[in-house]
Amino acid sequence: MKEFILEEPLTPGFLTFLRSFGTVKEYPHMKRPYFSFEQEHFISIKGFVGDPSVEVRYRKEFSDLTSDYFHLLLFYFREGENGIRKMQGIEESIWERMKVRLPEEGVPR
Amino acid sequence: MDAHPGDPPLIYLNNAATTWPKPQGVLDAVTRSLQTPFFEHGRSTAGSAMDYPSETRAALAGLFHAEQPDHFIFTRSATESLNLLIHGFVKKQGAPFHAITTELEHNSVLRPLHTLTGEGRLSLSMVPFQESYVTLQDIKKALQPETRLVVMTHGSNVLGSLQNIRPVAEYCAENNIFLIVDGAQTAGQVPINLEAVPLGAFVFTGHKALFGIPGIGGFYLDDPDAIVPVQQGGTGTDSRSLAHPQEMPQKFEAGTPNYPGIASLLAGIRFIEHEGQDRVTRKGRDLAALFISEITRDKNIILYTPAPDLPVVSFNIQGLDNDEAGYILAKAYNIITRTGLHCAPLVHDRIDSGKGCIRVSFSCLNTPEECRSAAMAVREVAEGADR
Repeated sequence: MKEFILEEPLTPGFLTFLRSFGTVKEYPHMKRPYFSFEQEHFISIKGFVGDPSVEVRYRKEFSDLTSDYFHLLLFYFREGENGIRKMQGIEESIWERMKVRLPEEGVPR
Repeated sequence: MDAHPGDPPLIYLNNAATTWPKPQGVLDAVTRSLQTPFFEHGRSTAGSAMDYPSETRAALAGLFHAEQPDHFIFTRSATESLNLLIHGFVKKQGAPFHAITTELEHNSVLRPLHTLTGEGRLSLSMVPFQESYVTLQDIKKALQPETRLVVMTHGSNVLGSLQNIRPVAEYCAENNIFLIVDGAQTAGQVPINLEAVPLGAFVFTGHKALFGIPGIGGFYLDDPDAIVPVQQGGTGTDSRSLAHPQEMPQKFEAGTPNYPGIASLLAGIRFIEHEGQDRVTRKGRDLAALFISEITRDKNIILYTPAPDLPVVSFNIQGLDNDEAGYILAKAYNIITRTGLHCAPLVHDRIDSGKGCIRVSFSCLNTPEECRSAAMAVREVAEGADR
């Protein structure tokens, strides 16, 4: 688990971006508007909209393959639709490397 | 956790894991213990330094009403105590036998027993709990002719239920069954009278309700011949002999003691004595009851501990994972709880389908105001999860 303090607070737009890559749960009526994101095989993220602090957890088995995943999400978010496509390509690449590592079990996708 | 301007004051409700804050006397005792040379039993640095181990054994004997102070053995933790006792008992038996434990147990009991079962050293029966309690009748149902060991908790770290040990202890004593009682949640929290109950061994940890620092624990062993030591080393006594001493407490202690930890434990016991054990017990129960009364009418809160004996309240919030609820309470309210399985997986299989829950746990240093603030925060989170 890592806690990051970002340069800017998280925005609703970032949550929309995240929906392309996993499950986003939002609780806007909490004292602070809480959200969580889960990409089952890569990472989970917890935080509050409007807050620069996030908690990121990596799946231990693949953490070496996915350690940059959160930073890539932040980077490609700025590119909009184009960023979604690039990010999806990166995901595919990670899946491929997972397959090589676990040939007998297959990739749990 | 760093404090930020405008943050609400920290409310720490994870005392069943480790009590915080520690009484000032405990902090001072640790500092003092490091400012003077240690009194090492049988060694040369005595001077005017305090013999913390002996003083603390005497204090433990007083608090727990034990006859023989030297039968208190210091370890790093309740987990280490349980491992030394369980593995030591198995080593003593030699041949495989049958053991009994309960669904209420912590992994510090379950994992050693599971490991030994896997090695073919014992067979194990798991006694279910009924409404948070395990009774002698439940244990009797699991008995087998070759049953030699019962390991059970004195107080559940999830359900806050105080088990009635006396009938189990009396039955075990009458039937030559070694009983290990895990008092990790009860030592310092409730009155304990080891003279009145014929236990084989009683396990405690220093860093919970005894208010010591992490890294100190121990056990009381009634009959030193009931188990075999599984570690040997320097004791400062009979050093010419390559055989480890058989006298108590050296029989089960090897290596340099954790002097600061033992000093903290002594100061923690003195704190409880000063406050009064009965008052400490009552305050814990009152805080738990107050918290429960403040959340119990919220239909979105699933309460697993309607009337705990210990200051432990476990619950879930409808529509919100327990770790998410814990995160929100910590980050938005500055309230520290514990979420997940609490190292007691079998309890959760019964109460929440193994998903885990949120636990708040109080010490006598918490206040009713903290309790009300925390309950209000939990209600707000439950309301936020429902909208």
